[in-house]
Amino acid sequence: MNDFGIIFEAEFLRRVKSRAFLIGTLLGALMIVGLSAAPSLFAHGISSSTHRIVLAGDPELTAAAKALLAKDFDVRATEPVPVKAPTLGDLAHAGNAAAIVELTNGARGLEVTVYASDAAGFRTTTLRDDIVPLKVALAVHGKPEMISSLLDFSVDVHSLDAKFRDEASANAARGFALLLVVLLYLAIILNCQGVLTSVAEEKTSRIAELLVATTSPAQLLAGKIVAAGATGMIQILVWVAVGLATAAGLVSSVGGPSGGLHASSRTLGGLGSIDLPTSLLVAFVVFFVLGFLQYATLYAAVASLISRTEDIGSVAGPLVLPVLAGFLLAQVALGIPNATGIVVASQIPLLTPFVMFTRMAVVSVPLWQVILAVGINVVATVGIVWLAGKIYRVGLLMYGRPPKLAQIVNVLRTS
Amino acid sequence: MLQLTDVHRSFGAVQAVRGVTFAIPTGATFGLLGPNGAGKTTTMRMILNILVPDRGTITWNGARIDGALRRRFGYLPEERGIYGKLKVREQMAYFGKLHGLREPLLGKRIDEWMERLEIAQYGNRPCAELSKGNQQKVQVACASMHEPEFLILDEPFSGLDPVNAEVLLGALRHLQSKGSTLVLSSHQMYQIENVCTEFCIIAGGQVRVNGSLGELRAQWPTRTVLVEPSSPMLRSVLDRIPNATARPHENGTLAYDVPRTFDVPQLARELVAAGDLTRLERMEPSLSDIYLRAIGEPV
Repeated sequence: MNDFGIIFEAEFLRRVKSRAFLIGTLLGALMIVGLSAAPSLFAHGISSSTHRIVLAGDPELTAAAKALLAKDFDVRATEPVPVKAPTLGDLAHAGNAAAIVELTNGARGLEVTVYASDAAGFRTTTLRDDIVPLKVALAVHGKPEMISSLLDFSVDVHSLDAKFRDEASANAARGFALLLVVLLYLAIILNCQGVLTSVAEEKTSRIAELLVATTSPAQLLAGKIVAAGATGMIQILVWVAVGLATAAGLVSSVGGPSGGLHASSRTLGGLGSIDLPTSLLVAFVVFFVLGFLQYATLYAAVASLISRTEDIGSVAGPLVLPVLAGFLLAQVALGIPNATGIVVASQIPLLTPFVMFTRMAVVSVPLWQVILAVGINVVATVGIVWLAGKIYRVGLLMYGRPPKLAQIVNVLRTS
Repeated sequence: MLQLTDVHRSFGAVQAVRGVTFAIPTGATFGLLGPNGAGKTTTMRMILNILVPDRGTITWNGARIDGALRRRFGYLPEERGIYGKLKVREQMAYFGKLHGLREPLLGKRIDEWMERLEIAQYGNRPCAELSKGNQQKVQVACASMHEPEFLILDEPFSGLDPVNAEVLLGALRHLQSKGSTLVLSSHQMYQIENVCTEFCIIAGGQVRVNGSLGELRAQWPTRTVLVEPSSPMLRSVLDRIPNATARPHENGTLAYDVPRTFDVPQLARELVAAGDLTRLERMEPSLSDIYLRAIGEPV
């Protein structure tokens, strides 16, 4: 085993045995379970609190409305007369209903007034869509059931982008892309922080000098970064496995994407409904490797410049900005993946891993753009590794106050 | 043999090392001495190829020092470094592997060196839990366990109590017996004088003197004679010595610096004739004397 192998082995074992790795992996897994379960719980909470209503008004109107609303609302009671000055107590008495819906047939036809406990959370649009046939039926003196059947038609949306069959699978892809981008962000941030603290520990404890007297700084840096990358990949695999298991569990426990699980099915639960292309998984690995190498070497270089652990935050803080920018731009890219700014951002090193990956997950990105982005990033990664390696080599033996940029440039020129 | 020839190194406007030239014979124990900021650490770093000289050459047995050669070297820097969370055995195994040791020799050497440095009972304890002196012994073990051809120890005795300093001296003697070439930098002159066979004193980035202690003493212009009792008759004899200088001394002893070539037996006869002489001693200059004079002299 050469020095790289020895350093890799030592670093890898040190990392996987560390509390930070165990806690980080566990927290990430819990977050994934939470993220996947939250939408269904949230949706369940919404439906349980907003689908119970009380209808008030002429019995003929309320009877017809009840039939129309049955598919989306739980009509707990019907009141024959309008309610005067309804209160929250009235809703509580009516089986903790979300609203009292008052129907009148006035000069302008059917009029609907809703007294809701939470006006913003009430499903007004759904109520309106459901009750439209009654309004039309009263106007044309027809039967609500007939009008309802006339208005009941579906609009099939077919994607001209060959990537997805329909809107549902596109939504599922967006959810999946969001999950992967979060994983990418977490894996890069957590493991780059690991590189940062490891280099800073060796620098501040003065063990770095001992190490570079024994092996080359390049091997030392490579061993550290590859070990951190390997632990990062393990973390990702654990998280993906937990995510898939959670999604599978949610789908099987509810019996498919319906009801309260509907929202969840569009994120994790929908994994079963999309064909996960191998190219996307390859892209994930490629962009993780590129992004991790870029950020990890920068973090290592920065960490090599500090002499006291207290300086970590002030020196390394600015490096969080591009990671955060990439992550936020990826969120934008989910909605407008082909906007000019997003396309440009997807070619910029440090941002590419997040933005281009997101674009690839949600639209068919032209091959030349992917090749260009990977090419630019490979060249940039080589440049960053070269420069960061040089800073690292010089920085390891620099002590005192964190050097200013001009000092670093000067030392690099003379080294 | 390690050979440094006209080695220079600057950091920006600061010239840390200016034309250093010296040689260390194979198997020698070499004392590299100098005040703080003299350029010792920079010189040692250049020997180990951690820093690259701006000018000049450094060779070991005629070859430039590369990665493969460096693996056979050892280094204990002045600023100690240790992985606090690693157990003593794990730490030694890591550095042993980096220096090319593999099982089963690796485990054997770990046991031997823990025994030699009297830290065997701490083998499975995290290094951070050890006292400073024991941590230092772990670091010495990490630097020495591969029995390097060439070992640099920067201030190896600092922080060690007299008992542990003796333990370390024992380890150094073991390495000497194995033929290792040792370089020691220390401000503790007594230990350096006892263990080293060759010396180099640098100051201001330049070599002031170098050679064996005998050679350095041979260059020293005076010797000190101590005479007892401190009587006026004996003092008058000493005051007549040409170019002699009285030195302050306590406990009723007369101390005079006399020229190196002065005839001490003749002085003895004169002192015996002059009075009740109880002590006459000719003292060689100590390493400390030589050091202080060397770093105080203008180049």
